[in-house]
Order: sequence, then structure tokens, then C-alpha cells
Amino acid sequence: MKDDVRRHLDGDLPLSDLAEESRKEAESWKRLTAAFKVELPTSSMPSWLEDRVMHEIESLPEPGLARKWIAWAARPRPVRVSPLSLGLAAAAVATLFFFRGALLDLPGPITQPGSPETVAAGSTGAPVQVYVQFSLDAPGASSVAVTGDFDDWKGTHGLVDPDGDGVWTGRVPVRPGVHAYMFLVDGSTWLTDPRAERYTDDGFGNRNAVLAVAVPAT
Amino acid sequence: MVGSAERTDAQVVRDILSGDREAYRLLVRRYGDALYGHALRVVGDPDDAADLVQRAFVKGFRKLGSCRDPERVGAWLFRILANGCKDHVRSRKAHASLESLPDIPERGPDPLAATQESEVRGRLQRALETLTPEQREAFVLKHVEGRRYEEIAAVLDVSVASLKMRVHRAREALEGLLEEYR
Repeated sequence: MKDDVRRHLDGDLPLSDLAEESRKEAESWKRLTAAFKVELPTSSMPSWLEDRVMHEIESLPEPGLARKWIAWAARPRPVRVSPLSLGLAAAAVATLFFFRGALLDLPGPITQPGSPETVAAGSTGAPVQVYVQFSLDAPGASSVAVTGDFDDWKGTHGLVDPDGDGVWTGRVPVRPGVHAYMFLVDGSTWLTDPRAERYTDDGFGNRNAVLAVAVPAT
Repeated sequence: MVGSAERTDAQVVRDILSGDREAYRLLVRRYGDALYGHALRVVGDPDDAADLVQRAFVKGFRKLGSCRDPERVGAWLFRILANGCKDHVRSRKAHASLESLPDIPERGPDPLAATQESEVRGRLQRALETLTPEQREAFVLKHVEGRRYEEIAAVLDVSVASLKMRVHRAREALEGLLEEYR
């Protein structure tokens, strides 16, 4: 097939631009495609087919809740948001990121085993404190205390070993924030918490363990 | 209750996805003729065409949640049907010879004329059978259904250049028929 005939049949070149011989070939093609149009079967959809389709569809099982939810969640839809609510949402997200960011910048989490508990809330105006569980394996020790910048390194929070297994534990109220701390064994030996996840140099060649305490959810 | 035919396709799709199965009947009515006509021209047999259309509609219903553009659900259904037709043609080519084409009903009262007509039709259908499913689909859409390349490309999700090549190859394969129409 000549290129100009092909371009004409594709609709890219008018018949008048074709040479005589090409025009004859193009007209032959037109007659052939017209024959296809006439001779190939054509019909509207049989009327019974609509009911057959709907009957099969009605017999399909109902989708489960999970599939319904996935279909709902996956379906795109327009969302209308007022500028005010958008602003409030942005402020809430920014606040959340601010606090999370402050915490994530810290050297690490980290309360030793046990869950922090809120012990004082704001109704009385008292500062919020969280109980943090500390523990240290110190078999043979006579006394163990935990101390840090949360008690100005006074060493007033003693741990206990009631069952004598060498594991000293205690819950200490700590304000939210980042705190360096150490264990004081037998009143004279300083030990860094071996299970802390972060440490910081104390400026005297030793490492302090680091504890981060989050603001409890209200 | 099918509801108003003035509902847009997107509204109908939303209703269906919300649980109104009967609303699907509207889509069957809107696109049934176009789908059936295409299937019939491509596969030639009315029963096969009806089966293919039914399968396409049922598959469309089951997958409706994945239709990304509900406003163009007709084109989406057409693509499902077109794929079904191509699979059908491939399967038939694999399992049957050209001689097993479906019977072509005679029309017209003149037996001689009817015979001549059915001979022509049979020849054209047999010629179509020699094309690949993709060539046949492109040729039918372009030269039998008279659609524009851009429209076909949008429906089938292929490039215009690719479609033009398919139609060109189809014409080359059909060139033997041209002598009768000079």
C-alpha cells in the first residue's frame, strides 16, 4: 500500500491530495471497508440479555464487611473542607510534631522496665509528674539509690530488693523532660545503668544514662 | 426501581457501590447495544457475543470499585469486553479451523441473492479470521464502527501510533480482497 493511501485511510490526508493512481486505490479500500460495514452482523443487544445479566448480578453473594470497607476506602471522592477547620487541623498537626520532634531529638527513651504513670495532674496547678520504674541488678549490694538531675543528684530515691534476688527496683516521680541519672550503690559506688538506651558524657570522663519522659496523654 | 436516566454515570456507579444493585441495570441499558454490537462484529456469532457481553457486565460489576474514572465507566466496560473478545478469538483460533465459522443466517427472499450475500459475508468474515485479535479489534473499530483513532486509543489504553500500525497490518493482510472492489 502506498504511503499516501495509508495516510488518507488514517484520516491524515484528504483524497484531493492523492495522485490519480493512489486515489483509485483509496476508493477501492473505501468500497471494501463499506462492504465490511454492510456485511458484518450488526444488531442491538437482545432484550433478554439485560435480564440475564441482572439475574446473575442479583445472585452474586453480598460482599463482606471487609471488602465493603476496602471498596469504600479505595474509592476516590471529593472532600469539602472549610478554611477554618483546615487551619485548626494544621495547627493540631504542627503541635503534635513540635512535641514529638522535641522528644525525638533526645538521646533516647527511656524508662527502665515498667510503665510510667501520671501521678499529678493539672487540676490543682501542680506540675505533672510521671512515675518511672528503675531497676538494677546488684547482687550483694546493701543499698541502691537512683539519682539524677530530676532530684538535683541528692540520691534520695532508694530502690528496694524485697525478695533478695539481687534485683533492686523502685518507682520514682519524674517530671516530663530529659534527665541524666546514675545508680549509687552502697552509698559510694556510681554505676551507669547498663540497660539505658542512650548515654551522655558527664564531663568528668564518665557516662550518665539518659532518660526521656514524655508528657502523659490526658 | 432503576431511577432516573438523567443520573450521570458517576452517580450511578456511586449508587451501585452503596449497595443499589438494581442501578446497574442503567449501565446495562446505556452500554449494552454498543458492547453487543462490537462483540458481534468481532466474534461473528450472536450466542458467543451475548455470552461475552454478559461476562463483561458481570466482571464489571464485581470490579466496579476499581473503576478509577466512574464518569467514563462505559469506556471501562468496553475495555473489559474488548479483552474478553480478544481472548475468545485467540481461544477459538487455537481450537478451531476456519471451516468451523458459525452459520450465517440468510436474509432476503431471493435464494440466489441470499446465497451471494452470504458468500460475500462469509468471505469477509473468513478474511477477518486471518487477523490477529489485536488487528481485528483495531480494524473493526476503525473501519467498521468508524471510530476515531484518538477515541479508540482512549478506550483501549494504547497509543494512536500503535493503533495505526495494527490497522495498517490488518489492511496489508486484507489486501487480497481488494481486487473484487476495484
